[in-house]
Amino acid sequence: MIALLSAGVAHQVGGCTNAGRPVVCRGMAAQHEAGRLLVIISSESGFEVLDAVRQNGNIALNVTLPANFRSMSFVGNDAVVRGSGASWRPLVDTRHAAFREQLKPYGFPPDYTNAWYSAPDEQLVAIRFTPMVARNQTPGPSAGNKVELMHTEFEK
Amino acid sequence: MSAVFDDGLSLFGVRRMMEGVVPPVLCTASADRVPNVSYLSLCEYVDPLHIALSYQFLNRSRENVLATRRASLTLDDAYTGAGVVLQLEYQRTETEGPVFERLRAKLLGVASHVGMEKVFHLRGADVYRVLEMRRVPGRREFPAALPRVDLATTSRLLSERMAHCEDLSDLLETLLGGLADLLRIDHAMVWLADPAQQALTLLASRGYDIDGAGAEISVGEGLVGTAVREGVPIRVGHMMNMATYARAVRDSAGESGLTEILKNEIPLPGLKEPRSQLAVPLRARGRVLGALFVESQHDQYFGYDDEDALMMLGGQLAVAMSLMQPHEQEPPAQPAAGAATPPDAGPALRLRRLGRDNSIFIDDVYLIRGVAGAILWKLVVEYLRSGRREFTNRELRLAPELRLPDVQDNLEVRLLLLQRRLAEQCAPIRLEKAGRGRMRLNVERVVTLEQEAP
Repeated sequence: MIALLSAGVAHQVGGCTNAGRPVVCRGMAAQHEAGRLLVIISSESGFEVLDAVRQNGNIALNVTLPANFRSMSFVGNDAVVRGSGASWRPLVDTRHAAFREQLKPYGFPPDYTNAWYSAPDEQLVAIRFTPMVARNQTPGPSAGNKVELMHTEFEK
Repeated sequence: MSAVFDDGLSLFGVRRMMEGVVPPVLCTASADRVPNVSYLSLCEYVDPLHIALSYQFLNRSRENVLATRRASLTLDDAYTGAGVVLQLEYQRTETEGPVFERLRAKLLGVASHVGMEKVFHLRGADVYRVLEMRRVPGRREFPAALPRVDLATTSRLLSERMAHCEDLSDLLETLLGGLADLLRIDHAMVWLADPAQQALTLLASRGYDIDGAGAEISVGEGLVGTAVREGVPIRVGHMMNMATYARAVRDSAGESGLTEILKNEIPLPGLKEPRSQLAVPLRARGRVLGALFVESQHDQYFGYDDEDALMMLGGQLAVAMSLMQPHEQEPPAQPAAGAATPPDAGPALRLRRLGRDNSIFIDDVYLIRGVAGAILWKLVVEYLRSGRREFTNRELRLAPELRLPDVQDNLEVRLLLLQRRLAEQCAPIRLEKAGRGRMRLNVERVVTLEQEAP
């Protein structure tokens, strides 16, 4: 699962407000940090997700590999919004480059994903959470089913 | 509750984003506000305030939607990088009707292309009311690409050319030529439905190494067969992406492999690596007479406007096929006395018919079957019996043994198909026009007949 995060995946980040409004935005990078997951989103395009996360800490991070649509979702309930700015740029650029490579066979021009990753440094926001549940989200009948988390991967 | 849309946004205006080039993302939440994010197969425009999403599996998204009736959906434009995010309220699940049929046809079209019809089963079309639609802010968008051609103008020009055609052969050449010259669609086929056989026969093609006239597929097979069976256009704009998605579903469902592709007795033309395909049904008088199929090596080559244009041109073709009746006012040809005089050249030709579906073989090489096969058999039998080589369309139409399908368009079309197939095979039997409503059978070798019982 950890390897998947650096393989050039697409990131989708979901939340739900206390009023029951589901919200979703595109993420730009994710990585494993000492038993927790970190995901970077744009504060402009992801403002609704940030609001929802700040309300209740619930979050779902979906990562999908375009080459085979293998898709995993990590769900947490202790998400916090912390840290923003240029320090995340190297991680975003690395993930972006890997993602762009993944999309090449599908005919997307190399610059296409710039539209999604063009947030200025000051808009890069980090959300950290402990993945409590992992779900297989590969399209199909078992999408949403739980997958046992390998604690060796997420706990230090 | 009235819908809230950003200025200038409409559901109709974002139809292109629903094509799935960038798969739509659905976010739902459980009653206790635990979010779930997943990808969707299909999203379909219903009306200015509603969309439909494919419901294929009983999964967590489905559970959440039934529990809360709320969802959020993002759609991305594959050309400009723009995106919209929608807030949705679940209304109902439809298991029949036009919206369901459109979604099912698209799903089957995609699935059949990669041989996964059994996995891609549509349980329903979930209809949602769109409560909000907003642009995703902060996107650095690209300018939209210029259209390939002015489809409205070029379609009108082609329609006018078609209107001047006096016979079906000319009409097909004009259509396929005009698609290439005017609409820049270089690879196209016209398929003819045979309801009795539940099959489709290739009538004409352009832009391929082989012509393939007479090749057959089953109704329901592939994009063409599905478009005919469901009577709706099917377009796949990003074949590789859809194929990858489909394979993910298949693997997830534990299927063992692709279904076997039916073997055709006549090789099918087609691009080796198509990136975009579109099949539109040819409809006239309330019936589907066949399909017009186009494809391209380029991704996302055909859009909604192409679909509209080809539906219009295909409709004109279908009506013309119905109306282009043979000139039956001509008197029947006078039969010559006596049996056929054997031609001098070559060894005897063995014409074999399999009775069940009128499959015709010339010296063990498959030629054609169905109505066209029955016509050839009748002509040759009559030629051997009486020596007559000229025939009228009228006598064929009235021949009870041919059992022409219950649509008057078919005789002219079947004759053309037979004529092309014989020419393509360089067969020693040829069929050619012999004036208004007449045809001439040219036989270059002695013919022996062999008929196998059904």
